[in-house]
Amino acid sequence: MKHNFDFIQNLLGRTVYIDDLPEPANLLHAAVFTSPSAHGSFAGLDLSAALALDPTVRVLTAADIPGQNQLGTAVLDEPMLAEGVWHFRGQVIALVLAGSRSLARRAAAAIKLVGAADRPAVTDPRVAFARGDLILKPRTQRWGDSAAAFALCHLVVSGRADSAGQEHVYLETQGAIALPDDSGGVRLMSGTQGPSGVQKIVARVLGLPMNLVEVETRRMGGAFGGKEDQASGWAALAALGAFATQRPVKIYLSRRDDMTSTGKRHPYSSDFRIGLDKDGKILAFEADYYQNSGAACDLSPAIIPRTLFHAAGAYHIPNVRVTGYLCRTNLVPFTAFRGFGGPQGFFVIEAALDKAAAALGLDPVELRRRNLLREGDVSHYGMPHEGVLATETFERCLARAGYPERRAAIQEYNRTNPASKRGLAVMPVCFGISFTKMMMNQGGALIHVYNDGSVGVSTGATEMGQGVSRKLALIVARALGVSQTAVRVESTRTTTVANTMPTAASTGADINGMAAQLAATEIRQRLLAFAAASLQLDPASLTLRDGQLFADPEPAAGPLLSFAALVAKAYEGRVDLSAHAFFATPGLHYDLATERGCPFAYHVYGCALLTVTVDTLRGRYQFDDAIMVHDTGVSIDPLVDLGQIEGAFAQGLGWAALEDLRFDDKGRLLADTLSTYKLPDGHFMPRLDVEMLQRPNPKAVANSKAVGEPPLMYGIAGWFAIADALRAARPGLELAYDLPMTCEKVLGLLTGDLVPAGPSGGEAGR
Amino acid sequence: MRISLTVNGQRYTVDVAEHKTLLRCLREDLGLTGTKEGCGMGECGACTIIFNGRVVNACMILAVEANGATIETIEGEATGPGLSEIQTALERNNSAQCGFCTPGMVMSIKELLRDKPKPTIDEMKEAIEGNFCRCTGYVQIIEAILDLTGRSAEKGELKHV
Ligand code: FES
Ligand code: FES
Repeated sequence: MKHNFDFIQNLLGRTVYIDDLPEPANLLHAAVFTSPSAHGSFAGLDLSAALALDPTVRVLTAADIPGQNQLGTAVLDEPMLAEGVWHFRGQVIALVLAGSRSLARRAAAAIKLVGAADRPAVTDPRVAFARGDLILKPRTQRWGDSAAAFALCHLVVSGRADSAGQEHVYLETQGAIALPDDSGGVRLMSGTQGPSGVQKIVARVLGLPMNLVEVETRRMGGAFGGKEDQASGWAALAALGAFATQRPVKIYLSRRDDMTSTGKRHPYSSDFRIGLDKDGKILAFEADYYQNSGAACDLSPAIIPRTLFHAAGAYHIPNVRVTGYLCRTNLVPFTAFRGFGGPQGFFVIEAALDKAAAALGLDPVELRRRNLLREGDVSHYGMPHEGVLATETFERCLARAGYPERRAAIQEYNRTNPASKRGLAVMPVCFGISFTKMMMNQGGALIHVYNDGSVGVSTGATEMGQGVSRKLALIVARALGVSQTAVRVESTRTTTVANTMPTAASTGADINGMAAQLAATEIRQRLLAFAAASLQLDPASLTLRDGQLFADPEPAAGPLLSFAALVAKAYEGRVDLSAHAFFATPGLHYDLATERGCPFAYHVYGCALLTVTVDTLRGRYQFDDAIMVHDTGVSIDPLVDLGQIEGAFAQGLGWAALEDLRFDDKGRLLADTLSTYKLPDGHFMPRLDVEMLQRPNPKAVANSKAVGEPPLMYGIAGWFAIADALRAARPGLELAYDLPMTCEKVLGLLTGDLVPAGPSGGEAGR
Repeated sequence: MRISLTVNGQRYTVDVAEHKTLLRCLREDLGLTGTKEGCGMGECGACTIIFNGRVVNACMILAVEANGATIETIEGEATGPGLSEIQTALERNNSAQCGFCTPGMVMSIKELLRDKPKPTIDEMKEAIEGNFCRCTGYVQIIEAILDLTGRSAEKGELKHV
């Protein structure tokens, strides 16, 4: 019975991903021909060698697009197939179809550009900013009067913080299958977080109404934001192929194509200024975030505000001015990645506090403690914080970690070990839950109870491994009083629940779970009303639980009917056994003109303490312990939530200390395979101790809290723990706030080969 | 070229091109799609299978090299109607999220336990170091291996002391 679950099928190797679907007869495989450099122009293509390879080879270019050659959503600046000019390396110029995948890839490799010329490329967001090349107007949030407040500060420090991008490395690369449909449209199976988004783009590219494009997503082998907007282009290419040839077309990217041509987490370069009183209370903070947006807009305008919203981290700051710039460069359009601009903002405020603690001569842990958010504090975007758990999670975390004894032990270790130093860092988190783009906070669900009593649930949520299906099944099972195994969560289809939002911003279970609960409750009420009428009982006395109907005043009397028997009777009695429900997150409002409002349904809190040992001769490090206390609300499925916390932390730690997404100054990605791009493995991970703090959250389904993104921030402590160890090794060492802190960088800092880069501003206080 | 191989106890004879990888042969010719392609370049471990008793990346072996070989894949892991012992332990510890790395992971764990019924935690990490998992952070996987080796009590070692 349990075998219906994805989870079990995963273990058996029976779950089907895009490339596992049975291949339809007549299938064509797609490959892409992409641009060779970061910027350039071309007059045409020489296809002779490609077409000579095999009679099945077909090449499609921009001229073959029946609708609009446009993938952009917020800004229409991203052609699906480049026309005459390309803006980043790996931009798709032509779609190649052939009878087999290897043939398609060989044909793509045989295409030559005609009349191609490179153009100068910009890769640095500060250079783009200096040239005035911004994708959209900057956004600024202000609270209080930071300029005036700085004058009153005991200490003001300023500096620069840089964070590199991050490759998603979803284990299943991007893919889709498109089938021509006898209605004149297309049907797609797409590995996307947002089937409705794919539907819209495919309809636009093919010049069709949306009702002729059907998109289904069964599951993804990981996504992490990388398949939010960026799955659309690949699906639309497959759709174009199917439309043009009237044959099924499959696209499944090679790892190298995926790493080269798809967006990643945005690199940022930022300047900060922080002012404190003599007790270490932060009085003012200013920052300018130069987001490397890449060559096209993509989701960048939604990501910048999330950086700004999280500029103050988990701290209360009474005077704030923060500005975000979307800098256009000749790199791949950067996109959503778990945290969505939040981690970049957190790194900057933590860097500012790190610098301030050193200048004040104060324990960095104590400095953070003094500034934590308290109940009722108003954020710099005007939202009062409610249900604040910043101090509670912080203190619980320190207690669990045995602080300050742990600090003393580290000092003793460092005193007695000349070639090895330990470091420690603490990382409090406060993360807002809701899509930053307000209209996106909506979702629908459709539930069918079949006449044998089994249940099918459809929502807009897509399963990418985050366990949303398990949560949905539990929510619906509870509402109908049946077991979780009686509920099947269907694949996500545009024809079943329409106009859905991508499963993103950690809101998948919140929004779709609430819609599913509403729909299930509707059916439950119909069933109870029917039972009351036919059994001539008071409806208020009836309940459904454990797959049975009970008349509650006399529970000892036992069940009246099984759920299945009740459903069968209701079916006979012509009761509607299906329900659709819609949920829009209440209470959200935001004024873009004043940058004030209530953009989040609630916040998630938590704290992590991390320790590391650095081998000061070799530059190698090993994270020892991570202790975290994380605010989960009443967890719907604790094992799933624990997996999310641990997995997000691993990604955050990878971003902070290991994963080296580097481009050369010509815009070439230097690590474009998994042998050169280093990912966390089991050895990299520290011992992990997680406490889930389960305080009921009235703002979300079943008193739970969203969990996908916030724990990623804990990984940032990795950077600061290593920095702490480095300062023990080289007292007075000046560090550039430059993430990730790779072993290579650590060794350079220890040997003095690496001089801190960038203008690290000096003391300006009095 | 015509090759014969035994996969999960069943004998197959197929015609394959010389340049075809064993991974593509398993997936395309034998219909065994449980073994995944995450990179095709020997870098991710999603295609891990057991080949003549040793774990290998099926994407790094040519199908013609498998002539006469005995191969185990995820499809042969559960012999009854339910889950195998390894799969049950993974289930109990929520060790699979998106599931894409899972078939390869199961194969690596299987070989580890065959070689070393009582591995240390370091040996466990070594056994799966060729299997990238982007979802879990590995802890829940190691916990499952501890369960399998009758050492659930040592899960505390994965936490701090
Ligand atoms: S697919 Fe074989 S190692 Fe990645
Ligand atoms: S479960 Fe997704 S990669 Fe391991």
